[in-house]
Amino acid sequence: MNANEYQGSFLGRISIRRNQVVVMDAIHEQELEDIELFQKHVSDRFSELSSPSDDDAILSISWLRKLLDVFLCCEAEFEAILLMDRDPYQLSKPPFDRLIPELLDRAVKALDICNAVTNGVESVRHCQKLAEIAISALDQKPIGDGEVKRAKRALITLMAAINLDDKDGTNAKSTERSWSFGRRSGNKDRVAGQFRSLSWQVAKNWSAAKQIQSTIYNLVAPRGAEASGLPSPIYTMNVIMIFVMWALVAAIPCQERTGLPTHFPVPKQLNWAHSLIGLQEKIADEWKKKEKKGMAGLLDEMQRMEKSAQSLIDFTDSFQFPGDAEKLQEAAGHVAELTEICRIMEQGLTPLQMHIREVFHRIVRSRTEFLDVLEKGSLPVI
Amino acid sequence: MDGCQSTEGDLHVVAAAHHIVKALGATKNLTDDLRKILIDLDTHLSMITSDTDSKGGRGFVDVEEQLKQAERKILSWESDPMMIWDSGPREASEYIATVYEIQTLVDGLRRLSVHENREQKELLHRAMSVLQTAMSRLEEELIHILVQHRQQFEPKHMSSRSTRRDVVYDESFVSVEDETVKETSSRNCPSDEIGECIVDLVCADVIPDIKSIAKVMFTSNYGPEFCEAFIGVRKEALEQYSAVTEELSIEDVLKMEWTSMSSKMNKWTWSMKMIVQVYLASEKRFCDLVLGDFGSVSSFCFLEISKATILCLLNFGEAIAMGPHQPEKLFRLLDMYETLADLPQDIDTLFSEEASSFVRLQFHVLLERFGVSSTAAFEAFQVAISSNGSLYPFPGGGVHPLNKYVMNYIRMLPEYCNILNLLLKDQHVDVADQVTDPDNGPNLSLSTSCPMACHLRSITSSLESNLYRKSQLYKDEALQHIFLMNNIHYLVQKVKGSELRLFFGDEWIRKHNGKFQQHAKNYERATWSSVICFLKDDNPGSSSVSKSTFKEQCKGFRIAFEEVYKTQTSWCVPDPQLREDLRISTSLKVILAYRTFLGRNLAHIEDKCVKHTVEHVEKLLLDLFEGSPRSLRNSRRW
Repeated sequence: MNANEYQGSFLGRISIRRNQVVVMDAIHEQELEDIELFQKHVSDRFSELSSPSDDDAILSISWLRKLLDVFLCCEAEFEAILLMDRDPYQLSKPPFDRLIPELLDRAVKALDICNAVTNGVESVRHCQKLAEIAISALDQKPIGDGEVKRAKRALITLMAAINLDDKDGTNAKSTERSWSFGRRSGNKDRVAGQFRSLSWQVAKNWSAAKQIQSTIYNLVAPRGAEASGLPSPIYTMNVIMIFVMWALVAAIPCQERTGLPTHFPVPKQLNWAHSLIGLQEKIADEWKKKEKKGMAGLLDEMQRMEKSAQSLIDFTDSFQFPGDAEKLQEAAGHVAELTEICRIMEQGLTPLQMHIREVFHRIVRSRTEFLDVLEKGSLPVI
Repeated sequence: MDGCQSTEGDLHVVAAAHHIVKALGATKNLTDDLRKILIDLDTHLSMITSDTDSKGGRGFVDVEEQLKQAERKILSWESDPMMIWDSGPREASEYIATVYEIQTLVDGLRRLSVHENREQKELLHRAMSVLQTAMSRLEEELIHILVQHRQQFEPKHMSSRSTRRDVVYDESFVSVEDETVKETSSRNCPSDEIGECIVDLVCADVIPDIKSIAKVMFTSNYGPEFCEAFIGVRKEALEQYSAVTEELSIEDVLKMEWTSMSSKMNKWTWSMKMIVQVYLASEKRFCDLVLGDFGSVSSFCFLEISKATILCLLNFGEAIAMGPHQPEKLFRLLDMYETLADLPQDIDTLFSEEASSFVRLQFHVLLERFGVSSTAAFEAFQVAISSNGSLYPFPGGGVHPLNKYVMNYIRMLPEYCNILNLLLKDQHVDVADQVTDPDNGPNLSLSTSCPMACHLRSITSSLESNLYRKSQLYKDEALQHIFLMNNIHYLVQKVKGSELRLFFGDEWIRKHNGKFQQHAKNYERATWSSVICFLKDDNPGSSSVSKSTFKEQCKGFRIAFEEVYKTQTSWCVPDPQLREDLRISTSLKVILAYRTFLGRNLAHIEDKCVKHTVEHVEKLLLDLFEGSPRSLRNSRRW
């Protein structure tokens, strides 16, 4: 650009400080383009997530990892738009003096959710171990009472773990249900085989549902002039973050999910939001269905595991040595399904945790950068 | 031996051998292993004879009989309200022996071509069922033993380091007092003595029992159930202990106010050491003792038992490191950093497997973050000093609270010398006060040129600049000098009276002594020159002056003196020694001049214009700098 234009934008810059009027046409246009591109990317990525292949059913482990990838990509773009070559003073003025701290507050809540979910993956892993016991018992040929008893024990523990009331890691009622062998009543120790306590390692009063609820609170789409400026991608990023956290909580068991909100106040007319809203509604429907039956997480592999485990429990209930050939065949089928699920879990759970950890670190880093910028912007102009 | 045709002669040998085995089996005091071998042999021999009789025959009846007996034993315990391991070692080892018997039967039955023979199939099935019952019971026994024989873990040094006074950063600086910040900066805290220390988390006597249960369960392929039960109980034990550190969400931590955050950071520092160096080290040893024979199972179980707790501790650390880096946090942060810095080897040893690498990783990341946070807090401190502004002059000219805060703050830094030198190594600092002191002996970290020393000098330099700016708020030049004299004196005293002197060096001390002395002199000049002026002898040659001149001089001196008195009695020189020195110095000048003046004009002394005797003036001078304003107006009628 020639000297005049350069001078124009330089002067325009100073006038921001004096008049709070955005005057830099050239730079502003570039920004608008970037924002549009960002929102197009968001739309594309979420539409991809909405049409998963067979291997990646919605809310399966691999789908969740894809979702986390989407988050990381969107976040990187968002940070670039907001922070690169940004005059710090701009971000400390209205409306950003409200929007940015709100975003950062939500980010902190997201961090706690990441921790809770990482923890929740441990309980999924525990279910995997129990399933593996059942598998190794029922893989014996021929199956006898001993193997069946063994498998049943493990499966009942498994079902109890799946249907655990999220509120309390060691719900006494469900453990009593799981052990049908009457034991020495004088035994003050735990009932034999009580599955190990799933202490959530989060604060006692912390509730995933409430946390999500509080992130949605005050989430208002920008209107009017704001809708075409920086507030727009900020809103978008907020929505993405909330959605990702919400999906994780819906999928993976973590403390206190009763009352998980199922509705997001995102206006439908926003172009970039269509696929996201569609996904959200689909998952919310599933959630409402499940809520009536019990609190199993919506993780695809867990749902499949639950089904197979239940069928196998029915099988063990009706088993009599040497067993009906047809039923044995059916059971073998379920065992194979469980084996497959365990294999997926064995390969996928640790990477999932690592992925969530990566998201955690990124949010921390991003928050630090925003805080630095805000600090710079709040220093008095000497 | 399976399936081979035996001759009559062979059968006799086998029968004889079988007989011997049975006889040996009846002897008492058999070890578990020996008993197992004999049972094994017995069964093998039974099998051989059973082979010759395809319809089952005598050998097979033996097997069935054995199974019946074993089954009876196992099932009889099922209806017994007692725990086997509570009933005595004989019962326990008998039970285990029975289980091994069943195992052997199962192995034997499996080795035969089971698929054809229906009876064998049924026997196998029955044996497996009994085995499962036994395994289930063993699991229960295991849990019982682990719970009953758990040792209470009483950490000896429950007190945290809260004896250290917290330096509170407060707008009004009123919370910092010199007197209470005594020698609590000594590093003699019990928690430093922890080191590595292995304790018995479970009574050592029962370890053989647990091992024998482990062995029998693992050989029956019930290892997973053993691990489930074992991990469950041990995990619960650890979590009960570590409830000392409550779980807090990051949000809660970021919102916490300082005093509770400080105490939690303290608790954390102590817990971290205790848990890693003592509890987890002991737990790992316990797992190794019990499960060492089973390869990677031991470290797998240890990881499962410990990871939730260690991650929870690390998460709290992350939350703290994320928070704003206010200066008052520095010492707690350094404590936490130091704690972590002491532990990498322990962590690496405890979590040495591939599977536990994420724990190591998180630990190292956190260590780094703390380094960054500590440095940031230190920088925030330095910024706070230079940006601390005042609108109004500090009344009385005494030691400014900022000075007190800063000096008391940095007095505690030498304790963290090693860590700070590490952190500040690459930090650039403007050292206004270049000292050329040679190193104090071979200990480099105590030299006046180590990074921390440079930063310390930079801090005091910044403080001095700030104090200088504050002194400019006084209209009265004399008060400016009093203020600076007081404050620089205070600074020097603090340095001299603590470990700081090793870092600042004698040169610096000497130089600053000179500074405050200079201000004292400046004060004297500013105040008393004009007063003493009245007492000057304009005509040194003549013997005396006229009466009226004398009267005027007297009056002038008195008014000036009383003015100074009125003003400067409300000024403050807190340090008694300094006050004394200043008075003496002032006194010498003033009294000398006054006495000389009076002496020169003896002729006129009877006049009432001399209102104050020399002694009186001397006495009045003692009232100066007491901080309580007085006036001579009302005391005497002029």
